[in-house]
Amino acid sequence: MADEPMTTSTPSESKSTLKLMSKSMYAKEAALRNLFLLCATAAVAGVALIFLFVGVRGWPIIQDPGLGAFLFGKVWSSSTDQFGILPLVTGTLVITIGALLLGAPLAVGTAVFLSEIASPRVRSVVRPAVELLAGVPSVVYGFFGLIILRPIIANLTGGLGFGPLTAAIILAVMIVPTIATLTEDALGSVVPGIREASYAMGATTWQTIYKVLLPAASVGIIDAIILGMGRAVGETMAVVMVAGNAPQFFQGLGEPVSTLTSQIVIDMSYASGTHRTALFGMAVILFLISMGLVALVRVISNRKKEG
Amino acid sequence: MNKRTANRLALSVLWLCAGTTVAVLGAVIIYVFVNGIGQLSPEFIFTWPHGVNAEGGIWPTIVSTLYVTGLAMLIVTPIGVLAAVFLAEYAVQGRLVRIIRFAADSLASVPSIIMGLFGLALFVETMHIGFSMISAALALSFLMLPIVMRTTEEAIRAVPKYIRWGSYGLGASKWQTVSRIVIPAAMPRILTGLILATGRAVGETAVVIFTMGQAINLPISPLDSGRPMTVHLYMLAMEGINLPAAYGTALLLMIMILFFNLTARWLLRRNRRMQG
Amino acid sequence: MAEYRRPSTRGHLLSTCPRTVLRVVLACALAVSMLALSACDGSSASDEVIVNGSTTILPIAEIAAEQFMDENPEISVLVSGVGSSAGIETVTRGSSDIGTSSRDLKTEEETLGLVDTPIAYDAIAVIVNPDNPIRELTTEQVRDIFSGRYTNWSELGGPDLPIGLVNRDEASGTREAFNKIVMGDETFDIGAVILPGTGQARAVVTDAPGAVGYISLGFVNDDVKAIVIDGVVPSEEAVVAGTYPVSRILHCFTMGEPTGLVKQYLDYVLSPAIQDTVVRDAGFIPITAKEAFDG
Repeated sequence: MADEPMTTSTPSESKSTLKLMSKSMYAKEAALRNLFLLCATAAVAGVALIFLFVGVRGWPIIQDPGLGAFLFGKVWSSSTDQFGILPLVTGTLVITIGALLLGAPLAVGTAVFLSEIASPRVRSVVRPAVELLAGVPSVVYGFFGLIILRPIIANLTGGLGFGPLTAAIILAVMIVPTIATLTEDALGSVVPGIREASYAMGATTWQTIYKVLLPAASVGIIDAIILGMGRAVGETMAVVMVAGNAPQFFQGLGEPVSTLTSQIVIDMSYASGTHRTALFGMAVILFLISMGLVALVRVISNRKKEG
Repeated sequence: MNKRTANRLALSVLWLCAGTTVAVLGAVIIYVFVNGIGQLSPEFIFTWPHGVNAEGGIWPTIVSTLYVTGLAMLIVTPIGVLAAVFLAEYAVQGRLVRIIRFAADSLASVPSIIMGLFGLALFVETMHIGFSMISAALALSFLMLPIVMRTTEEAIRAVPKYIRWGSYGLGASKWQTVSRIVIPAAMPRILTGLILATGRAVGETAVVIFTMGQAINLPISPLDSGRPMTVHLYMLAMEGINLPAAYGTALLLMIMILFFNLTARWLLRRNRRMQG
Repeated sequence: MAEYRRPSTRGHLLSTCPRTVLRVVLACALAVSMLALSACDGSSASDEVIVNGSTTILPIAEIAAEQFMDENPEISVLVSGVGSSAGIETVTRGSSDIGTSSRDLKTEEETLGLVDTPIAYDAIAVIVNPDNPIRELTTEQVRDIFSGRYTNWSELGGPDLPIGLVNRDEASGTREAFNKIVMGDETFDIGAVILPGTGQARAVVTDAPGAVGYISLGFVNDDVKAIVIDGVVPSEEAVVAGTYPVSRILHCFTMGEPTGLVKQYLDYVLSPAIQDTVVRDAGFIPITAKEAFDG
């Protein structure tokens, strides 16, 4: 830490403060700064610890039966000790894509509405609603989906109502706040001048939104959708209540599937041995996916800044 | 299609989007409220569940939820706030800060089920703390840390620069400025962030289900196990025998979360009015 | 002791735990595990009854223990769900007083000197939607339905309607029993919906015309139709008479005849206070029902 040049944010400021400080005061200031730094590294420690402890429990599955058999195995069956997660990955993928198809347009639409159309009075109703949607516990969404939505879907598809369609609808609602809030931020950071220029050229509100604002905010919106995707991939309790939890490949919108997260919840209470290892291995995969998505957002945002 | 028709059409679609979002929230709230309100009574809140199908009240689950949330706040508040102070006031842009921010972002996006398994592996099993309030609170605090860090950092950054200059001009040191000027000025917004993080913790299920245990118990010491409201609701809903109690639990959970959210909004508004 | 602390969805799902006692137990468990001692070596104190075994029986045993301790505060009953085989093993080795089991003794276990106190019947009904005209099936047909061999009710003489399988999670005692009694060596169809609860399984069968599932006989109501199996109508009478095929007896095993506190606890479990309320609430049939039918 001693290598870092200054204790304060700008060099000139720090030089002037230092001159006024006694030695003991300087020591105290430096100690405090290091304490704060330590707190800040708690986040780094958290990520490392999670990776370490979940990874150690999951590691044996990579040795036996091997990474390939684990990732690309087509059968998940604890009674025969087969732990291939491909059906679960497929389930996660199908449900996530479904949730994005339904949720992303709704969320972006809501954000555009809030940022460009709504009067302050309407906004004061819609924005809190979006924030409250984010606060509803996932288990309540799952409960709602199980009791209200499932019978409706059962009537529509002729099946039992558990499956990707039900799960995707519930997840779509759950990712709306994430995507809408971030999209609204992105639209808000568009330079006001180009908006006014567009109106001055005689463009309608929609033309301004479609041809000027959305392209200008596109990077932020893509980031928002990627983070919404991360939320959908990792969501657990709501999915476990409506997906049907059958570890089979996608058979249709109304046929049950299982996901990485829901299988962990269903199995964790009784799993032991290789089975338990496989569940921790799945958690590692989920962790890598979510970190990968965050990294993707970083890369996209950085490229935009440079370009 | 001329541009006015297109405009009108597109705008009505956007109205529809916003309307749908509000309607969904309304549907969830009304559904939970209508089905749960008949269940709410002092008996339901303050008595123990009994029998095989958890008839009666849910008092121990309420206590477990509040206990673990309070404990997690105690753990996360100092660390999160001080970390934010570092990022907002002390940090020099560089690799270290980039890593910290990336870690915080990653932590914020880690699925909560992983946080649960992590808590199980580290606190419950490796450290032999067992299923307990403290195990669950520690795991929850990792979940809340990035939220507290982000909101606090924003709060500190929102404090106008000239206030700091005034303080330095009077000969105050960095720490004196931060602790006596900046943090008090940012306090309402910091509190808002803390309250929102609390709301998040109250509604969390996947983290606590593997760290707190699932047996109903009234926790006294941090080493006691228990079953929080969310896990109770999940079990009642999936078992499906005693649905009235599930509705009641869901409503109470929603009321608690609404309370936290509205308090946070009220604080923020009051603060804005005082500043404006 | 470490086993005790593992979460068991099924086991703890519907149970409440005695307050202070549980805390003491957990504190002990914690201390014990920290010291890396095996609790299995410890002999039980004179005022303690240790009950280990089947997770299916756990809800009954726990609530019986709770109520028993309310009436006899000086006695503590420690209940844990470790599985039937482990329950039989611990009682044989003397590290528990009662081993609960949802299966009969194996041949090699019969000579160990264990005495059986049956406490309840666990019967499982195969349920379909009331609109489904199918009334009767054989055990083989039920097995072939759940293994996925039949996919449409028309193959069984019913309407042209796809069969919707409702299965339970593997932690479920009902699934374990159904698997052992009906499925045998066959495996469940992987495409079945997995639900972790009885009530939801029943609710799904209630509103989906093609659905079929299985639940404890005690939870059957008018919203679903229980299938006649091998010509026997699922009823309490048939279960008690031993003619209904999908049923089993829940046991409490002790080394030698139960005496003292152990006998006191078992008598309590067999008393109407438990049999007529707790056992029925858990979806089982009281063992005392036999006397009613015999008498």
